[in-house]
Amino acid sequence: MSENKTATTVADLTKVKPYGDTLNDGKVEMAFTLPVPYGEEAEECAKQYVKKLGFEEPNVTYYHELAPGYTFFVVYGSAQQTIDYTAIKVPKVEGTVMDRVECGEWIGENVGRDITVVGASIESDAHTVGIDAIIQMKGFHGHFGLERFKHVVPYNMGSQVPCEELIAKAKEVNADAILVSQTVTQKDIHIMNLTKMVELVEAEGLRDKVILTCGGPRISHELAQELGYDAGFGPGKYAEHVMSYIMQEVVKRGWQDKPLIADR
Amino acid sequence: MGLLKDLSQKYRTLSIVGMAKNAGKTTALNFLIEEAMDEGVVLGVTSTGRDGETQDLVTGTEKPRVYLDQGSLVTVPSQLYELADAGLEILERTKYSTAIGELLICRVEDAGYVQVAGPVIAAETKKLCQDMFRYGVDLVLIDGAIDRKSVANPETSDAIILSTGAVLSRSLKNVVEETAHIVELYELPEFRENDAITDFLRKDNFEHITVFDEDGKPTVLDLITGLGASGEINDAIKEDTRYIFIPGAMTNSVIADISLKNLQKVEFILKDPTRIFISKIDWGRLRKRGLRIKVLKNIEIAAITVNPWSPKGYSFDSDLLISEMREVLTDIPVIDVRR
Repeated sequence: MSENKTATTVADLTKVKPYGDTLNDGKVEMAFTLPVPYGEEAEECAKQYVKKLGFEEPNVTYYHELAPGYTFFVVYGSAQQTIDYTAIKVPKVEGTVMDRVECGEWIGENVGRDITVVGASIESDAHTVGIDAIIQMKGFHGHFGLERFKHVVPYNMGSQVPCEELIAKAKEVNADAILVSQTVTQKDIHIMNLTKMVELVEAEGLRDKVILTCGGPRISHELAQELGYDAGFGPGKYAEHVMSYIMQEVVKRGWQDKPLIADR
Repeated sequence: MGLLKDLSQKYRTLSIVGMAKNAGKTTALNFLIEEAMDEGVVLGVTSTGRDGETQDLVTGTEKPRVYLDQGSLVTVPSQLYELADAGLEILERTKYSTAIGELLICRVEDAGYVQVAGPVIAAETKKLCQDMFRYGVDLVLIDGAIDRKSVANPETSDAIILSTGAVLSRSLKNVVEETAHIVELYELPEFRENDAITDFLRKDNFEHITVFDEDGKPTVLDLITGLGASGEINDAIKEDTRYIFIPGAMTNSVIADISLKNLQKVEFILKDPTRIFISKIDWGRLRKRGLRIKVLKNIEIAAITVNPWSPKGYSFDSDLLISEMREVLTDIPVIDVRR
């Protein structure tokens, strides 16, 4: 017998499950709507549905009628499934991340010229928050934007920029990299816009002559690569992450002496 | 005669191209493989994979997982070889590499699921197909990996199989019309009027916007892109201009400011149909105004596969969708993959 008489207090990373009040209780809060009329049958329906999802002890803690024939629920349940955290591999943007000042110095030493980037929130998306966070001087959350970086020439074209205009600008200023921002994701509109962008870049014969990156709250590096981008930047990534990647990629591709797109 | 037998006599390589994400491309691929098994056609299967979707080694959900019968050939990157559920015999280690190891050409010895991956570069895909033919396959299917239409590029394969489906729209009419629009674009006529112009454009991967007069005399415009440059293009159209070559993308912004008179006078020449980004509605409007486009190389559509189910939770009556499709697309076989 083991001398240890206390309950498990250390999570087993090969079998993780949600934490509610105590370790491994598996408690999950869910909110959803069912197309059924409000009433006790509706509550039972939600319970059975959550049970079918694989949760035990479903508890409907709140429900109300959204509109006739539709009921909204908040349900708690205990999840039974576990995940082996140690086996997870997430594709990440490669290279070392440097801060703003280091980036400037690194470009000066290793690239020997200014790096030009063009960014915009494209197509239907009217939100500038993402592209501003990366490019605008004041940056985001204490991380200054590319406008404050040494040896970086950024162009912020704002929001609702047609893909065509962004590409034309990139060609005009001989951009090393294009930054595409997408904030709105309803009905997968960001996927449609990002796909349109990459297809146009491809059709313009620009795909291997520019570093194509995208960013936004629902964007991961993995998604970006699947869509045909070079890199993707999600939540928690700032200007220094983006520039660290771009400048190292410029060197990797040997573009130090190729500021003009036509030469690449 | 079976569909696959028929296709394998007409074409050597077929790319599978999806109209949209989740249009049922993998379902279509699996359907075709199953048909090939029934008809005794020996298949080679590869893909135009990029790094992205082949990196998720944990769940394998993102990757096209296909069931292959004994005798088929398949390309597998070395790191995925171990994970294959089918029994694979390595025939050759190729010099092509992917993010997850060098590519192996394998023969399926024991039927089962395989995760297919292929070279990233179109030219390498072409060479790889040749390698597979050396081992005696009848037909090579190239999975378009990502659901992007640029993989339809005629440089890659002899013809394509277009995967369309309910996912395009909640309106059956729209699904049919969007598909017909793409088919119309892909089958645009090839430019044959003037061999001198064709030769001029074919050499050295010519990449400049150029206007040609009636005799085929070229004038290269000083434009870096046609995008947003319709005003400049309009100015370049002279009395005797007959053709305009646009090397890049063809969008509304390339034609917006071209006068009606000029638009009707000239013919546009594009590299291939994947360069066109004009919506169905605008296309109809521009055609009425007199827009004429030819391409250096068009795309042959061998068959269209239709998936009446959308992963977004709705579906259409399969018979109705197929019959409406067939009504519009009379020359191409239309197949329901869920049958």
